[in-house]
Formats: sequence, structure tokens, C-alpha cells
Amino acid sequence: MDAAISSILFYLFATIAVLSAFGVVASRNPVNSAMCMALSFASTAAVYFGMGAQFLGIVQIIVYAGAILVLFLFVVMMLDVKSEEANLSNLPRAIIGVVIAGVFAGMVTKAALLLPGATDGVCPVKALCCEDCKPEATAATAEGELSGGALPQLAEDNADVKTLGATLFSQYNIPFVILSFALLAGTVGAVALGRKIRKD
Amino acid sequence: MTPLAHYLILSGILFSIGLAGVLIRKNIIVVFMCLEMMLSAANISLVAFSRAQGTEGVPVYDPQVLSLFIVAIAAAEVAIGLALIVAMFRARKSVESTAITTLKD
Repeated sequence: MDAAISSILFYLFATIAVLSAFGVVASRNPVNSAMCMALSFASTAAVYFGMGAQFLGIVQIIVYAGAILVLFLFVVMMLDVKSEEANLSNLPRAIIGVVIAGVFAGMVTKAALLLPGATDGVCPVKALCCEDCKPEATAATAEGELSGGALPQLAEDNADVKTLGATLFSQYNIPFVILSFALLAGTVGAVALGRKIRKD
Repeated sequence: MTPLAHYLILSGILFSIGLAGVLIRKNIIVVFMCLEMMLSAANISLVAFSRAQGTEGVPVYDPQVLSLFIVAIAAAEVAIGLALIVAMFRARKSVESTAITTLKD
């Protein structure tokens, strides 16, 4: 029952995310695009919550749907961008874009479905599975190893934020410090680019 | 439970919608939004892999740390990119990608 509900919620939020992503591309007004983007990011955050990654879900909402969206809206309001009007000369460009993206989506979908044991633990590609390599131990070890089947159950007392913080501040401490310098460089660069350029 | 493949497909579909937006739209602000969607779509598959690799109910947290880094880099990138768009608007009075033709002419 619990698993069924989480599956239904995943498909619901995945549909909302995909539809609002379409809204970002299709709407002519940039403000509508930004609002659709917020909805898409919020439902992505819901998918994270469903996967048990609470901290990343919160970060997704605060950083993407909060900070980044507000920056976009500020710029849209500051620049007074007008809506694009429909134009027939855009049609070839649109067709090319849709074809390229469609081919890419098809490729990714095919690759995901071809993962060893993609949907129900049955191997669709014999070459990838190597049935002789892991004879009878499969049932015991299948829970943990990377397979395309259902995600393994989370432990009830899994402390997401605690473990993520422990990983971040021990194993990845130096990259984390370097990352803060990247953020500082980004801020300084934004200020430098935003200055009025003197003509003399 | 939802299979791993479906998370990867969701991530791929969101990524390709972003790709289509980057290729189709002319308004640079919307192109930039679509770039952000592509970054965020990559995060979904990282988190899904983090769950799939986990043992005894505990996910592997290295992919989640990586996607946290991606979020931070995306924030820095947005700050710089929007400053560039504002600078471009000052110089060209337009945010259409077709207005940048200095090297072409």
C-alpha cells in the first residue's frame, strides 16, 4: 500500500514536472516561463522527497525555486522584455529543435530501458547481464547492487541530512571550500559585469 | 516501487525539453531558464543512482554531494549569466539571440 502510494505520487509529480517544463518552452511571455519553471522545480523537489533525499529537496526549493527564480524575475522586470509574437520564420528552427530533442529523449529512454534488469529484474540484454558470472547468489545480493529494477527500500531510521553532512564535511571538505571560492568569484564577476561602463 | 529506469527516463525527458528550449527559443532569458532545467534534470538521475547503489537501506551519499555541488555551481552561473544578459541589453537594447551579430557582419 505504501509503495503503491509513493509510486502514484512519483508519476503525478513527474507528469507535473514534464508538463510545466513544456510550459517554459512554449509560453511567449518570459514571466509565464519563469512561473512554469518554479512549478517544474517544485515538483522535481517532490520527486526528491519521494526518493528519501530530503535535504536535496529542500535545497532544490530554496535555491532553484527561490533564489534563482527571483533573480530571473528581477532581470525580466528590469529589462522590460516584451512577449515574442508568433512568426512563421521560426518554424524551421522549431522543427529542427524538436527533432533533435526528440531523438535525444528516445535515446535516453532506450538506454534506460536497456539497463540490466530494467523494469522487473528480468534481463533484456544477454550481453550486459553475464548470467554465468553470478549463479545462485543473485537473489541475496540483488538488493544492494546497481540494477535497473525497483529501488531498494530505505531504512526507517535513515538520517539523511546527518549522513549527507558527514560525507560533505569529511570526504569532500576541500572541494566544498573550493566551491565557496567559485561562488565568491561568481558574485564578484556579477558585480563587475553589472557596473556602468564609462565611455572615457 | 518505481523502477530506477523510470527516474532515468524522467530525467532524460526533462533534459531534452530543456535542450529543445535552448535550440528553439530566441529570448536569451528563456534559453537560460532552459539551461537551468537541464542542470536540474541531471540531478534527478544522480539522486536515483544514489538510491539504487545503496545497501541495507542506506543510500550512497557521494552522488547527492555531487548534485549539491551542481546546485551551487548553477547558482553562481545564474548570477554571472544574468549579469551578462543585462550587459548585453545595455549594449544592444535587445535580449534576442538574433541581435548578437557583431562577428557575423
